[in-house]
Amino acid sequence: MNWNYFIKRFGQAVLTLAATITLSFVLYHAMPGSPAESLKNVILSQQAASGSGTVDLERLNRMVSMYTNIQPDEPLHVQYYQYIHQIVIEGSLGTSIYENKPVTELIFERVPWSMFISVYALTIGYSLSILIGSVMAYTEKSRFDSVSSSIIIGLNSVPYYIVGLLLIYVLAIQNEFFPYGGRVGSNVAAGFNVTFMQSIIWHAVLPVVSMSMLGLGGALTMRGNAVRVLGEDYLRVATLRGLRRSRIATQYVGRNAILPMYTQFMIGIAGVFSSAVIVEQIFTYPGVGLLMYNAIQTQDYPLLMGSLIIFTTVTVIGIFIADVTYGFVDPRISAGGSDE
Amino acid sequence: MDSSIHESLLEVAMSSRDDAVDLEELFESSDEYDPVPRAERLRRWLDLSVLAPARVAINDWRALIGTIILGCYLVVGTVGVVVVERPYSDVAPRNAPPFQNLEYILGTDTVGQPIGALLVHATPAMLKMIFAGAMVSVGLAALVGLLSGFMRDTLVDTVLMSITDVIITIPGLPLVIVLLAIFEPENPYMVGVLLGLDNWPGLARTVRSQVLSIREEAYVEASKIMGLSTLTILRRDLLGQLMPYITINSALSSRRIIFESVGLYFIGVLPFTTFNWGVMMNMAYQNHALTRPDRLHYLLFPMATIFLMSFGLVLFSQGMDSVFNVRLQARHASTTDGEVTSDE
Amino acid sequence: MSDPIFEVRNLDVSFAGSRGTSRVVRDVDLDVYREETLGIVGESGSGKSMLASALLNAVVEPGTTTGSVTYRPPDGPAVSVLELSEQELRRFRWEEIAMVFQGAMSSFNPVMRIRRHFRETLQDHNRNIEAGLERAESLLESVYLDPDRVLDAYPHELSGGMKQRALIALSLLLEPQVIVMDEPTAALDLLMQRSIVSLLEELQATHDLTIVFITHDLPLLTKLADRLTVMYAFQLIETATVDTILYDAAHPYTRALLSATPDLDVAVDEMHAIDGTKPDPVEAIAGCSYHPRCPLADEQCVRTEPPSTNHSEHHTASCFHHERAPAAVPIRGDDLEEADR
Repeated sequence: MNWNYFIKRFGQAVLTLAATITLSFVLYHAMPGSPAESLKNVILSQQAASGSGTVDLERLNRMVSMYTNIQPDEPLHVQYYQYIHQIVIEGSLGTSIYENKPVTELIFERVPWSMFISVYALTIGYSLSILIGSVMAYTEKSRFDSVSSSIIIGLNSVPYYIVGLLLIYVLAIQNEFFPYGGRVGSNVAAGFNVTFMQSIIWHAVLPVVSMSMLGLGGALTMRGNAVRVLGEDYLRVATLRGLRRSRIATQYVGRNAILPMYTQFMIGIAGVFSSAVIVEQIFTYPGVGLLMYNAIQTQDYPLLMGSLIIFTTVTVIGIFIADVTYGFVDPRISAGGSDE
Repeated sequence: MDSSIHESLLEVAMSSRDDAVDLEELFESSDEYDPVPRAERLRRWLDLSVLAPARVAINDWRALIGTIILGCYLVVGTVGVVVVERPYSDVAPRNAPPFQNLEYILGTDTVGQPIGALLVHATPAMLKMIFAGAMVSVGLAALVGLLSGFMRDTLVDTVLMSITDVIITIPGLPLVIVLLAIFEPENPYMVGVLLGLDNWPGLARTVRSQVLSIREEAYVEASKIMGLSTLTILRRDLLGQLMPYITINSALSSRRIIFESVGLYFIGVLPFTTFNWGVMMNMAYQNHALTRPDRLHYLLFPMATIFLMSFGLVLFSQGMDSVFNVRLQARHASTTDGEVTSDE
Repeated sequence: MSDPIFEVRNLDVSFAGSRGTSRVVRDVDLDVYREETLGIVGESGSGKSMLASALLNAVVEPGTTTGSVTYRPPDGPAVSVLELSEQELRRFRWEEIAMVFQGAMSSFNPVMRIRRHFRETLQDHNRNIEAGLERAESLLESVYLDPDRVLDAYPHELSGGMKQRALIALSLLLEPQVIVMDEPTAALDLLMQRSIVSLLEELQATHDLTIVFITHDLPLLTKLADRLTVMYAFQLIETATVDTILYDAAHPYTRALLSATPDLDVAVDEMHAIDGTKPDPVEAIAGCSYHPRCPLADEQCVRTEPPSTNHSEHHTASCFHHERAPAAVPIRGDDLEEADR
């Protein structure tokens, strides 16, 4: 492992997180009026609903600080320092205005569910596209190649949420193969038992399939890569060396064609997590995406910012892992790097 | 494997001739005391960058069909709005099925608005959104990529590329959602701009690496042919080299802006506007179009509209990809690949 | 010198392309003698690389190879190379005949160490790996590489010349009878070319190798080869020993090549001294393929294809007017002699 590369990537990850946290701080201030001003109405309406009396400015500031980690009466740089301090050191993302619970608690309860469907969608989407892409490359210019190219171009033109809606219509409403919402059956007892697991998987199928559409465009990339590798000199030499077909297919064509996909895969992580907001809303799948959606509806800004920070954190960790492992699959990485 | 290997063999066989032609061109068009008038140069540039691809594009069915589809949307968005009457509630019977009456051929919605007219009148806003978004993402990408490429290994380059990498990593949709939730834009241009904001880093990197590779080449050429400054060669090559990426990326980022904006209108994150495909889908969904077969068309037609438009964009980008690739390969066989080998 | 290890008869290689079928090797007959160095020379695009690939039945798809290529191993029955099954072909390649071609710069899988390339070659040919790797080390040493360093390196960590030499070592790993070198020195600098050539001579002596060396670099060949065959427009037009070619070439094209190479130190392609354009592989060529560029061409050359005729024991050429060729296409040496007189 090249330490220089490792440190560089780690720095990148930290920088991204810092940038996102800073951005959320800036956004609090970019809201019309000061954060206190803009949150006042929200808080007041919540207070009115819960029947508390009048609120004075000092108390309001304290509440803004409790909800958002921003202390409106301090100078800007102190606010910023305290904001960062709260998030990084205390691990606090503020308090949800609507639920009146710590944002971290609300989010962490849901992160596993989002991870669950995202990771499966990503894995399935990319495995499929690698498989289809390589078969297409091997049968280049055949009927299979042109038909699957057309299908993939077609699928590329359908937003994943439309795929999701169509899946709900065909597989959940017309035929009741799958449930059309939720993450587990309502009458299934939670616990480590088979029915519960089955129910979870059953509920995840449709969201996973519609999210995996995002990775499918990779098939064309894979096809292009494989076709390129098939024309490489080292492939010709491998054939001339009388190597076994299976070795050439996996170690030569496969490995070299998949390598460039790895980077795409990393960027895909961000894309798939992004899609969670829309997909979870359609399937009423209670992950972080749905939480974020609800936060918008209730103008729950701390929860909204918290979700953004968590989404970014999960993505950054995913990309960092992919980045670091990339060094193991491609030996050239330690020599080259950022200059491509 | 295919005949392209064989064709490339032929190309190799003829390459010496092509090289000679390229060199001649170089001498001709880039002399310091340029004998070629500006108009002539412009004509040549047009020929190389616009007309030649256009000619090839006509022969590439994907590019052709893509262009026709996009052209149709443009016509609908400009002329169609004038021709088709603006829909109001109860101008037609409610929940009319499609293909029954010529007045409202695609049927009507739950408040009696013709769906066809709704689709038509939603087009201009969508076009504005796409235009703004594509301009922002391509413009930012070009700006950052060019700056960074020209100032390679300076502080500017490092800072710009770090920002680019940071934005690539931040999940786009949640970021855009937060921005939308805070600024609550109503103007389609504004929505487009916000959606375009997370869409430029990939292209910026491509532009940068193109500038770098042209710089390498330019350096080599310049040292071969005395009296030619690197800048001259850069200027000569840059636009032609970047055109493919810019065209294709505009198409792809347009598609992405359609996907995201319609999706956000659909789930109701973007503020409700009168005419929008996503809002139509939202209304249909709210009105149980999925479970009531007589209302299904209310949902399906906007879907088909979105599909067709992005299909046009995808076809266009695919077609352009092969068109430009053919042209690039013909010009310099070795530089189309953006990769720089590691042992440099 | 008359014991052929390869007999090529009526060999044709063609590709179906969008402009029609291109025949890139046309009706070639060729013998390769055991333990000789045979040079095949021709302009780029003349079909010489295709001819080389056909020896291993390795013409890339969708090319088709017809005719016959017979390989006679030192012991055992003759092998008809074009009729081998996929399995047999896999064993035949690298065990009997190895090939080093011009793309050697990228001949190694970029994600694998060099050692792995040696190891997998041994594995897939069912050789003893330990003994094989020991041999690999001594081979690498004999091409002046440090075995430990090279075997543990990834391809991108080696220079072009090192990769080229490592590939030559790899090509000798399974002790093949024949090694085909297709422009192995094209991408290397002059110094590296020379050292590889002398290396080949050494290796040939120690390993009883037959070498087929393909290049457009005629001067290089005259120093290295025993016999030369000249390819023009997808056909062999003249074959003879190096001395015969140098002092008694019968075909006007061969003579033109030689005269275009004044001090025998500049490669053919750098010269452009021969007038006219190269022939197109798609077109059928009526008569002698060289007639459009030949100063001796007449009606007969346009209409009839000249047969290959024997001029002496090891000298064949395809030209109707070979008697007039020396006068019509003088080689530099001839000029000097005349000037002296």
